[in-house]
Amino acid sequence: MMPLEVQNNQSFDLAAIPFEDRKNFRDAVLEELSNGNRMIGLYPIEKTHSEKLIALFAEPDSSMIHIIGGIFDEHNLQFESWANEFPQTNYYECELSENYGYLPLNHPWLRPVRKQNFILGDKPYHFYRMDGEEIHEVAVGPIHAGVIEPGHFRFQCHGELVYNLEINLGYQHRGIEKLLLNSNPLQRIILSESIAGDTVIGHSHAHCNAIENLSNTQVSFRAQVVRSIAEEIERIAMHLSGLGGVANDIGFALVSSSYGRLRTLAINSLALLCGSRFGRGLFIYGGVRFDYTDEIIEETIANLQIIKNDVAVINEYLFSSTGVLTRFENTGIISKESAQQIGMVGLAARSSGLENDARVQFPYGAYRYNPVSLITLSSGDVFARARLRALEIDESLKFINDQLENLPQGEIKTNVENIIAKKGVISITEGWRGEIIHTVFTDEKGNLALYKIKDPSFNNWYGLSLALRRTAISDFPLCNKSFDLSYAGHDL
Amino acid sequence: MKEVIKVRILQGDPIVHDVRHAQFPPLYRGLPSIADKPCFDNCRKCVDVCPTSAIELNPVRINLGLCVFCPLCEETCPERIIHFTNDYHLSASFEEQLIVTKETNKITPEKASEKIKKYFGKSLKLRQISAGGCNGCELELNALSNVNFDMGRYGIEFVASPRHADGVVLTGPITKNMTKATDICFEAVPHPKIIILFGACAISGGIFQNSDQIEREFLMKNKIDLFIPGCPPHPLTFINGLLDWLDKKG
Repeated sequence: MMPLEVQNNQSFDLAAIPFEDRKNFRDAVLEELSNGNRMIGLYPIEKTHSEKLIALFAEPDSSMIHIIGGIFDEHNLQFESWANEFPQTNYYECELSENYGYLPLNHPWLRPVRKQNFILGDKPYHFYRMDGEEIHEVAVGPIHAGVIEPGHFRFQCHGELVYNLEINLGYQHRGIEKLLLNSNPLQRIILSESIAGDTVIGHSHAHCNAIENLSNTQVSFRAQVVRSIAEEIERIAMHLSGLGGVANDIGFALVSSSYGRLRTLAINSLALLCGSRFGRGLFIYGGVRFDYTDEIIEETIANLQIIKNDVAVINEYLFSSTGVLTRFENTGIISKESAQQIGMVGLAARSSGLENDARVQFPYGAYRYNPVSLITLSSGDVFARARLRALEIDESLKFINDQLENLPQGEIKTNVENIIAKKGVISITEGWRGEIIHTVFTDEKGNLALYKIKDPSFNNWYGLSLALRRTAISDFPLCNKSFDLSYAGHDL
Repeated sequence: MKEVIKVRILQGDPIVHDVRHAQFPPLYRGLPSIADKPCFDNCRKCVDVCPTSAIELNPVRINLGLCVFCPLCEETCPERIIHFTNDYHLSASFEEQLIVTKETNKITPEKASEKIKKYFGKSLKLRQISAGGCNGCELELNALSNVNFDMGRYGIEFVASPRHADGVVLTGPITKNMTKATDICFEAVPHPKIIILFGACAISGGIFQNSDQIEREFLMKNKIDLFIPGCPPHPLTFINGLLDWLDKKG
């Protein structure tokens, strides 16, 4: 079967998706995975048509997204699991099972995704358990020690060493995908800003791109550039926050508070542009609500210059301290092979040597004309994830400076046309954590019929589990912060 | 050693000294002002665009408990009746205070009781509960402990265990999946204890008010001491609210 091939943000006729029977669908998915393409989605086309399934794959080399469909018997929603051979499909199958009652046969480890303690509808789920002399279990959460979102963690330990960490989420489930279908356009943007409050720009960018392409709305180049600048400021701010976090977790107070001070400067630069420190209110369909004035540009460049100067000195201190390197290096390692197998994305994947950056591989908006460099490191440990943040801050600073100095002229908003019926679009952006995907389909009246969100955290939480294997439990906070994943983005 | 000194010198003096009168960026959206003008021809534009149904008419009233401080009403109103000012003093001690009318020019929470002031006036330890918060509110609460806002200077701090806490700060619309943990956590806080609602989601459900995945019974069962509106509220809104409520100097 030939898959439907589309680009990022290219709208397509829903009728163009090839649908095959269960067996051919399974084989087609296997073929995609065998060709090295990465699964980026597995769900029914509509809530009311749970027997019509689509599987989405990313082929980064050609910047194409492959879509294949399968029709199931609605009384027999079963398929042979792919996860034994390709672990990356594991969690997608769990989600499909939980949301729509599918049964992946021979699935290696069916777990709850957002429900607690139940799989396959109402079957009680038991956490993975290790037995043996001196084996002990540590259970943490949902409420953790800090000011942080809720999630439940179970460690199987022998002494200090962690043998398995199981992560149970769903506490933040607010039903965003359903709300998005039932909301008016003005509410939808606010909702998209609240998918993950630390990735306001990343998610609202993906949302607006999707809706604009479903309605054939052209966004002016100036607006696209303003969007990208905001996205890079968000990246800088959250990378500074992450660096401050890892420094704090090893008790390196001066460095931690210094990164914190610079993060305030970064988010205040967003507030200069749009009034909100997180970029809320900036995005509207057809462009951006606020424009850069000469005054704001001047102040933003001044802020960024301080960040650039100071971060260089602080990085030098952090990454040259023996105590820091002892804690960072060889802690929480994810090998390139593991990262690839479990389908990790974004910052964490790049730290393990995987080339994975939607800005480069699936370019959108201003990144199509003003590329950024894809940076990878190879050691896959806490050090790599911290160091990569430092390197990406430099790259983002350079990008913003270039853009602010050559801001294209023009309008910042255009009129939005009506959403076209029976179309679909897959919108990918690179949030500061990694690949964000919003898939949107419309029905015959032009209303939204499918809204599926994939936050990078959905792929990467399992990476944190793997990173903890054979690692001391006392290193958990450090490993956790080096990934810095979203609970809200996962739970939706 | 040289690097330590270099980093410390760069750090300078970043603290916001005067938390009462801080400089905010011109576009920051704080307390809305409502002009004393009649609406034109039964115009309902602001009500229609408001994403969280925070506005009522005749006369124009904005419920800050619902408001997410997007500027839709301000930019839609043909008579320019609504305008978001830069005033970040928004904390209230009861829900009626959150309703902004044309008479409102300032919101200050009523002072806490003598008993509460005696217990918590010098030292207040808080446990935060994120019950569906998107991490926006959580980031701003974390920012309270950074070198810019340094809430610790007023004796107010976040602690890890509810048993060490004098009260809870709740964020998020309270998801069904967090109801039990929220109850257990609050129960573990020793008496006397306070509840602070931080952000539109916690106060009213905000943009999630119509979700079938939230369950807000916790708020019916317990008395709320302080409401901090915003999406997310600014750290200084929180500090000022607590200082006013506890009758402390800034």
